[in-house]
Parts: sequence; structure tokens; C-alpha cells
Amino acid sequence: MQREVGTLPLAPALRARLAAAGFQTAQELLDTGPCGLSKEIGISREEALEALQVVRQECHGDAARTAGGSGATRKCTALELLEEEQTQGFIITFCSALDNILGGGVQLTKITEICGAPGVGKTQLCMQLAVDVQIPECFGGVAGEAVFIDTEGSFMVDRVVDIAAACVQHCHLIAEAQQEEDLRKALETFSLENILSHIYYFRCRDYTELLAQVYLLPEFLAEHSKVRLVVIDGIAFPFRHDFEDLSLRTRLLNGLAQQLIIIANDHRSAVVLTNQMTTRIGQSQSTLVPALGESWGHAATVRLIFHWDNSQRLATLYKSPSQKESTIAYHITSHGFRDVQPPAVTHSTEGPELNPRKRPRTEEEKQ
Amino acid sequence: MAAKKLRRAQLSQEMCERLSRYQITTCQDFLCLSLLELMKLTGQSYYEVQKLLCKVSRACAPKMQTAYEMKLRKSVNPSSAFLSTTLHSLDRVLHGGVPCGSLTEITSPPGCGKTQFCIMLSVLATLPVSMGGLDGAVIYIDTESAFSAERLIEIAANRFPDYFDSDEKLLSMTHSIHLYRELTCCCVLKRIMSLEEEIILKKVKLLIIDSVASVVRKEFDTKLQGNLAERSNFLSRGASVLKYLAEEFSIPV
Repeated sequence: MQREVGTLPLAPALRARLAAAGFQTAQELLDTGPCGLSKEIGISREEALEALQVVRQECHGDAARTAGGSGATRKCTALELLEEEQTQGFIITFCSALDNILGGGVQLTKITEICGAPGVGKTQLCMQLAVDVQIPECFGGVAGEAVFIDTEGSFMVDRVVDIAAACVQHCHLIAEAQQEEDLRKALETFSLENILSHIYYFRCRDYTELLAQVYLLPEFLAEHSKVRLVVIDGIAFPFRHDFEDLSLRTRLLNGLAQQLIIIANDHRSAVVLTNQMTTRIGQSQSTLVPALGESWGHAATVRLIFHWDNSQRLATLYKSPSQKESTIAYHITSHGFRDVQPPAVTHSTEGPELNPRKRPRTEEEKQ
Repeated sequence: MAAKKLRRAQLSQEMCERLSRYQITTCQDFLCLSLLELMKLTGQSYYEVQKLLCKVSRACAPKMQTAYEMKLRKSVNPSSAFLSTTLHSLDRVLHGGVPCGSLTEITSPPGCGKTQFCIMLSVLATLPVSMGGLDGAVIYIDTESAFSAERLIEIAANRFPDYFDSDEKLLSMTHSIHLYRELTCCCVLKRIMSLEEEIILKKVKLLIIDSVASVVRKEFDTKLQGNLAERSNFLSRGASVLKYLAEEFSIPV
């Protein structure tokens, strides 16, 4: 109630007039009433009423916040956070080594950034995650939907069909091995058509469309409340060319990062971004570093860097608040993202048609 | 999309006039500003500005499609998803051939046969759909002056002798291959940007650029300081226009 007039979200011209007339706190405005206000400042009664309604809304919002009630508040104890984090699901990547170094998989409510040279598998992992987020809860997934924002045009539907078919087959094998009723019931809805219809695809051609789409995302997510994953494939591409004003670029990127953090937190979804690599020319050699500059590095919570080592693909966890930095090897097969199997292949008991590269999942579905 | 004028984004007339006083006429300019700046420029309250932002965003945001709809669209017309190269093992590895709607890059040391491959693809594209072609015209942008029309006719006559049995068939095939010789970077870029109308006019079904690297390496010496940035600027601008053309018209590039 003691809030200063200058901090209220009114039009600037109105604010200037209020300051000139000598109003200092919101309480004074409310006490004056619409007619008195209109006479003092010289605005119409309807405008004065509108302004007062805005002020009242703001003050009620403030009161609710200080009472520690509504969901708009961002304050809670660390114990509540701990409980939330423990029950929170992860989006698995079907590569157990990668899941291990990430601490279980891609975390919800956090921004994960994947950087890598072209062709190393970033888009493949994004497509794999878009399928994996839809795995039903009884199989260890989060049963959500996915939004895929593509800026480079590298989304191939046929590949997603392959990945989804392999995932469905994997779940079928588990259900048969476990022989439980609810597993089989969940599988009825986990079909290829359903998976594909729950991947919402947007093709953004330049940074304006990307900005517009991110502004509209909260509304979209409110309508489709089951979305648990937002993938932006190629956040670097529209910002790397045609930008003379680098400070504008930094500002836009920071704004984008803030909006994505808000989206991740409010809708409890994971945000995955892919970035390109650029060459930093040093004194004597040049190194590959993630693109978009140093300040962008602060935007993501978890950073993964994919790179090659001779002909082996490696993933390094570069930045993470809770896991230590480590490197693992992975493989991209026709079924999607998988582990590299050690040479002594253990024969699984699920039947000879099973691809030996798939690790058996019997040990970790229900906690 | 970005250059869309605010007038067409359904903002009110006085709002557009007010914003144009500050040189904000397109959606791009509008979305580049922060909320506080917008409040100052439009003289509206916070909530009003947010509503305006949503309106403008809706005007330029892309349309949503589910992956399922994309799959259905592709399966409706399976033959048009690829241009088969008639080299069976290559087609098998590429899952059907050169994909329509995306960029394919062919690289190799000199003399391996890139230009020959491109010439063969041009012949294939002009064949009717029943023979595995795309039944359309070809735009060939040549930066090395390596295209030889005689070789084109030789390939066509020897590869498909039953189809190209008469001279007039050969002539009509050569008629539908449009060759542009560009020798500098900006000419190439200008040519690519002007292609949209030509593609519609001439019913083009294949776009070949032979080659991007030669013209770039000639003009941009990477040892000089500022050139790296300019070069990548040119390349990414060209790449985004080509991607747009490939996707918009569903043709291989």
C-alpha cells in the first residue's frame, strides 16, 4: 500500500502527471477516488478509473505475495525444493552412460544446452528426447508432450518415425517380460500415431520469428498443459549472420534466456537448446568453443559438448550444478541414440531379434 | 516474415503512426525492443504493451504442425520425396536418393567427379516421374565454367537411349536446363535471391550450385583479419536463402 507511484505499471505520460501533481504512494491514489483524480490531473473519468483498477490489482498482487500464498511467489524453503527435486522425473536419453553423467537424464525445470560440431548428433539427441518425453510413467518416463522449434530445417520426420518405432518396440518387450496389466494398458496409448501427434513442430526462419514464437509460448503451454519438453534446435543459427549490432544481439539473447527460464519454471518443463561451435583464434592455436559468446554461457544451467575423437563420438558434461565433469562415448544407431557396447556382448534373454546395442531396462523402471 | 509492416499486423492506425515517428515500421523493429522501451514509445501501460506484443508476435510467428501431420503429408506423395540417383548402393545409403526439401552437399578433392555427378542429376531431373525423375526444369549456377553442354547430351543419349531416341527430345531436355554463370560472391548471392520468381515461372524442380567453395576461396583470403567474419556472413546468408527455397518449393538443392 505504501508503494511508490513511480513503480506502478501505468503509462509513462500518466505517471509523469501524477508525479507533477504530487502523488507519492499508491494509497493516496486509492483514497482520492476516480472523480477526484480526474479533476486533479486533468484526465477523463474513465481513464482515471482504469488507472485505479490497475493500481488495485497491483496492490492485491503485492499483498498476496507478502502473505506467501499464491503460485506467483518464487519463495520456498530448501526442504520443499529437495522434496520437489526428488519426485521430479527425468527425461531419459536411452544412453545409460549419458543418463548417468547427467544424474538420471535431462532434468525438468532446467535449461540444458548441447553444443557440438556439425554432424555430431545434436539434432539426433533432440529428436530422441522428443520421443522419450512421451514414455508413460510406468516405464519410467514423464508422460509429457514436446514442442520442437526448428531454425535450421534439420528435422526429418522419417528419422523420428524410426526412433519412435524402436522406442515402442522396446517398451513392448519390457511389458512382455514383466507381464503386468498396467504396463500393457499404458502401451495401448503409446503408439506411433500418438507419439507423432504430440510433437508440436514450429519452423522459424529468422530471429524475428523465433522471438515472436518464444513470446507466444507461455500461451501455447497454458493450452497444452502436458508439454514437458521444449526443444529449440539451432539457437545460434539465426543470430550468427546478418547482425551488425552485437550489443543488440546480446540483449536479445539475454531476454530470450530469461523468458526460457520463466517458461521452464512455471510449466515444469525441460528446455533443451542446441548451439554451434565457433573457432576462437588464440595466440598460437585455435580452439573450438561454443558460439554466441561468453555471456550466453551463463544462460544454460547444464552444458553438454559433443565432439569427435578419431571416429568415436564423445559427450562431455561441461557445466552442471550437481554433477561432476566427465566424458562418455555414445553411438547413433538406426534406432536412435544409444550406448557404446563393450566388445564382450552379453546375450540378453529377451530374444534373438533384439538389437544387442540396446541395454536391458529391466532394472530401473519402478522406483 | 520479419519485414512485415506493423500496419498489416492489425495494430491500430494511430499506434502505427506513432511508432513510425521513431522509425519502427516492421515487426522486426518492434520485437527487438524491450518492454520498458515499448512503454515509453507507445505511451501505454505494462499490460497493454504485453497485449500489443502478443498481437505482433502472432502476426509473425510460424504455424504449428504436429509431426504426425508432416508424416501424413509425406506419405501422400512418396515418389516426390527423393530424387533417385540411379546408383543403387548410393540410393540405399541415402534412403531413397537426394532428398527434396533440404540441402545436400557434395565435396571431394578435384577431379573426382562432382561436376559430372551434377550434370547427371540435371538429366535425371528432367525425366518424367515414371522413369524416376522430377519432370521439371533445372537451374544450374556455375561458378567455375565447368559445365559442358556436349557432355550433357552425351550422358543423356548413352544412359537413356530409348527415351532420348530423337533429337527433339534431347533439345527439349536441354531447353529445360537453365545455366547461369556467376563469377563473384555478390553475383552469386544476388542470383540466389532472385531465384524465387524464376522457380515459379519455369517450374524448376532442381537447383544446383557448382561450386560454392571456389568462388568463396577466391575472394576471401582467410589470412586477412576481417575476412573471416565477412565470409561466414556471406555463407550463412546464402545458406538461409537456399534452405528457404528448398523447403518452400520442396525441391532438392
